Amino acid sequence: MSSSTTLAQILERPDVWRGDALARAALPGVPTGFADLDRELPGGGWPRGGLTELLPLRRGVGELSLLLPALARLSRDELAWLVCIAPPYLLYAPALQAGGVDLSRLLVASAPGRDAAWACERSLAADGVGAIVVWLPEVQATSLRRLQLAAEASQALLFVFRPAACASQPSPAPLRLALEGEGEQLIVHLLKRRGSAQPLPLPIAVQRPLCLRHALARPASALSAARSLPRTAVA
Amino acid sequence: MAGRRLAEARALLPALAVRERAVEREQAALKRLACWAGGFTSEVCCLAQSMLLLEVAASLRLFGGAAKLFEDVVAGCAKQGHLPRAALAPTPLAAQWLAIGGDDRGSCTLDELPHRLGALPLSVLALASGDEARLASFGARSLADLLRLPRAGLARRLGTGLVTDLARALGELPDPRQRFVFPELFAERLELPMRVEQASALGWAARRLIDALCGWLAARGGGISECVFEFGHESGARQRPATVLALGFAGATRDAERMSRVLGERLQRLHLPAPVERIGLRAGAPAALAGHSRSLFVERGEGASDESMAGLLERLQARLGDDSVHALSSVAEHRPENAWRRVAAAPLTGEKSPPSPFLAPALRHSAVGPRPLCLLAQPQALRELAGRPQCGGPLRLLAGPERIESGWWDAAEPDALGDVCRDYFVAISRRDEWLWIFRSRAGWFLHGVFA
Repeated sequence: MSSSTTLAQILERPDVWRGDALARAALPGVPTGFADLDRELPGGGWPRGGLTELLPLRRGVGELSLLLPALARLSRDELAWLVCIAPPYLLYAPALQAGGVDLSRLLVASAPGRDAAWACERSLAADGVGAIVVWLPEVQATSLRRLQLAAEASQALLFVFRPAACASQPSPAPLRLALEGEGEQLIVHLLKRRGSAQPLPLPIAVQRPLCLRHALARPASALSAARSLPRTAVA
Repeated sequence: MAGRRLAEARALLPALAVRERAVEREQAALKRLACWAGGFTSEVCCLAQSMLLLEVAASLRLFGGAAKLFEDVVAGCAKQGHLPRAALAPTPLAAQWLAIGGDDRGSCTLDELPHRLGALPLSVLALASGDEARLASFGARSLADLLRLPRAGLARRLGTGLVTDLARALGELPDPRQRFVFPELFAERLELPMRVEQASALGWAARRLIDALCGWLAARGGGISECVFEFGHESGARQRPATVLALGFAGATRDAERMSRVLGERLQRLHLPAPVERIGLRAGAPAALAGHSRSLFVERGEGASDESMAGLLERLQARLGDDSVHALSSVAEHRPENAWRRVAAAPLTGEKSPPSPFLAPALRHSAVGPRPLCLLAQPQALRELAGRPQCGGPLRLLAGPERIESGWWDAAEPDALGDVCRDYFVAISRRDEWLWIFRSRAGWFLHGVFA
């Protein structure tokens, strides 16, 4: 047995990767719907069977819109179930539907505190769940580690939203993304991935509500908007 | 100590604990066991002397042969808390005698029946003492001796009853039995051997009732989607009403594992006001079980995964509460708060409601303005400074206005939104947050986040 073949064999393993290239994922990822992002992710998309940590700096920068194409694809094409756990706001059904999500395959669970991680673990164990989106603002590192192990045993996508302040803390997630808004674009910082580090932020053109016909030709002044309202109730 | 008088038994074993025989409870236990046995066969027969006959000829293939089935029945009985003396025979009377005689081999054919029966003592027949003495005077001490005697003479001396019984036991005469009628509704109770103070410790005892329920459901050929547990508390000076725990399932089921899991989750959160002495389980009329169609090729489809999803849904609902897990649906309404609805998640119903023509995505895009992915439960008032709405600094209006108004028709209804008059804008904050805000007569409000 020559040592070179052994090394080659070791390099074949999916959990071993070279520092100058992206790791090969055991399963092909789910395309994110954004080619720029797909190119930078091991497996060419959101990893199946792995925890993806999303750290949005602010709300409303397009953090959910980033996931929407993949979620729509899973629910429509793969007939997989989507589970949303402990969302901080109401998920607005008409917008999800407009984004292509099959609402008959969506489950929303409001789970306080530690129940959220529990619900997440149970959902990972269920057959037929394609993606889980969970908001865990105060999760312990041990729970996160358990979720990562549970995710590895399943084929579902697991997205965990945490506050941006957690970016400096270590995390067991194999993929960590910090999200920031800049005008019409969402800037993705790849904090961690399997493979070479990506120091440059990625601008992603997520769907923003501007491209619709209701866009203003010029910024409306609040005064004119106020004037357009009737001052009295309809008699 | 069977067959001895109490004084005699006490003399032999002074520490003997004596309990009065509770015939009613015995009968109730026998009925519960009969329900449980419905899981093996629908032909069950309750006899006096705490005996249960199962006609299993039709079940042999399903349960993997006579020996396997016999083993399963005995093991299941033990799980139900009974130590049966069981026997397997081609005729009911022979099975009865073999069981009393303690012959519990798991196989028996009609040919070897005379040999097997012959080994039994005459006491298994439970004859009148005079008859037994007469038989002894003929020199007959075991069933083998009895079977050797000429039947005609036996009938003349001891009456036709014994001879008919022998013929029935050997399968020469038919032996029809009265079937146990499975009750219309399931309602069983279990007295606990000791008081239980921890709710989570009730699971093992409740499992017996669940198994009995599943047997009953199998015999009735259906499933249930809800059942009710009642935990009866210690009777005494301060009699408390029983604690009631209703379990709901996502679809009709008769899977004992699934029921136990849901019960386990609920028990973990149940607070008992007093120790529990008895458990009751009630279930309504069984509903038809949904059929499954298995796919020819292995693929991720609607079949098996939906069943697993139903299990997930039950567990989540059991722990988080029924209202905490739901699905969403959109409604053809112009007022944003009314354009969606929480609906019960139902993975098992499987029937996808066709999207109404008003909700076709293509139409939505052209007909209405942008809608945010996240909606605030209540519009949040925003300050206005120098004519501009503020949310962590002045907001820049990017798109709008989209006028949404009217709704007078439900203004009188409680909890309804009523008449609205709002101009919606897409706004961006200084920190690049995309927000959905509106202006109404009361001022500026934040209503959604383009997450």
